[in-house]
Amino acid sequence: MKRFDCLEVMAPLVKDEIVVTSGSGQRVEWGHLSQHDGNLFVGSLGNALGVGLGVALCLPKRKVIVLESDGSLLLSLFNLPTVANQNPANLVVVVFDNQAYSRSNISHPTATAGKTDLAMTAKGTGIEHAVTVRDTAAFEKEIVDGLRTEGLRFIVAKVEETLDHRKMTRPNFDLLENKYRFVRYLERTEGKAIFLNERAEGKKI
Amino acid sequence: MENSVAQRLVTALKDSGVSFVSYLPETRLSRIIPLLQEDSLFRVVPTTSEAEAVSIAAGAALTGNQAAVYMEGTGVYVSAYSLFAVGERFGVPMLLLVSYVGSFNDKRNSSAFSHYTKTPQLLQALGIEYQVVSRAEEIEEQVGDAVRVMNSLKLPVALLFTGEFTL
Repeated sequence: MKRFDCLEVMAPLVKDEIVVTSGSGQRVEWGHLSQHDGNLFVGSLGNALGVGLGVALCLPKRKVIVLESDGSLLLSLFNLPTVANQNPANLVVVVFDNQAYSRSNISHPTATAGKTDLAMTAKGTGIEHAVTVRDTAAFEKEIVDGLRTEGLRFIVAKVEETLDHRKMTRPNFDLLENKYRFVRYLERTEGKAIFLNERAEGKKI
Repeated sequence: MENSVAQRLVTALKDSGVSFVSYLPETRLSRIIPLLQEDSLFRVVPTTSEAEAVSIAAGAALTGNQAAVYMEGTGVYVSAYSLFAVGERFGVPMLLLVSYVGSFNDKRNSSAFSHYTKTPQLLQALGIEYQVVSRAEEIEEQVGDAVRVMNSLKLPVALLFTGEFTL
């Protein structure tokens, strides 16, 4: 199973959900598939799950999907106990686990190529629904269930290591433009101002 | 920190519109935690790492909350990557409430003194504006100023607490 296969399954399911991605290959592949203004492309490793948790806690009526990689999650395992204890019912975490640091250019194995099991790790921190899927049918079932039902989901998708994303057109906007697109999308759909503008509100500054 | 000073700080946060606080507890300012938790106007999220606390606060800020992160001075070191990768690069306003451990006016300084006095230099390297807060009577103005600046810059801004806040 390739990561892109999973994302192709997911793309038509995303309507008004928020999608937060870490800065790995899935950022490029998801950006290639989806021009949704509710995409937040966090351009770094180790931050997407934390940012997504903050979004999920503050927008409890919206589904938030976080797309992580094994390398990014391993860099930020401290997120898992907090996710477990906050237990947001609107958060779906997908970890594309290719068992390699692809950006190392030497396909250096991650800990999941050895003894580490991310779904078991998540369960150990208290995330009750943590599963591993190995084919697109199982992925589709989990992502559909995650979007249609309430409850925290943690899905580890075992995927092949590919460099397909390097052949794809990258998103043509930078982090700042992405931030403002995302924020304006939330303002339109949530009906509230995101960034405080005291001058516009007539306050003395 | 005395309870009256803790209450004053929490009230200043509330009056400045702060509604979301992620944190990792420490010794100097910890009395604010129960006060924050008791007040339904605040969403309070305990974390396991200051690096995580910054990312979570960024998510909260991007959904329209005035967000703060409470941490020890050492937390600036731990969260430096998140402050840069998310706070600075994305341009996300958040207020860092930092106990200035080891500073000259830290009333509990002992072995920590000199170990963590590089906090201002670290903040400067990250491009984060900061002010040192040592007197309780100035807290309302300094929190108000910090929140205004963070919203103006759309960047993290830090208050380093020492002096009366470390008693």
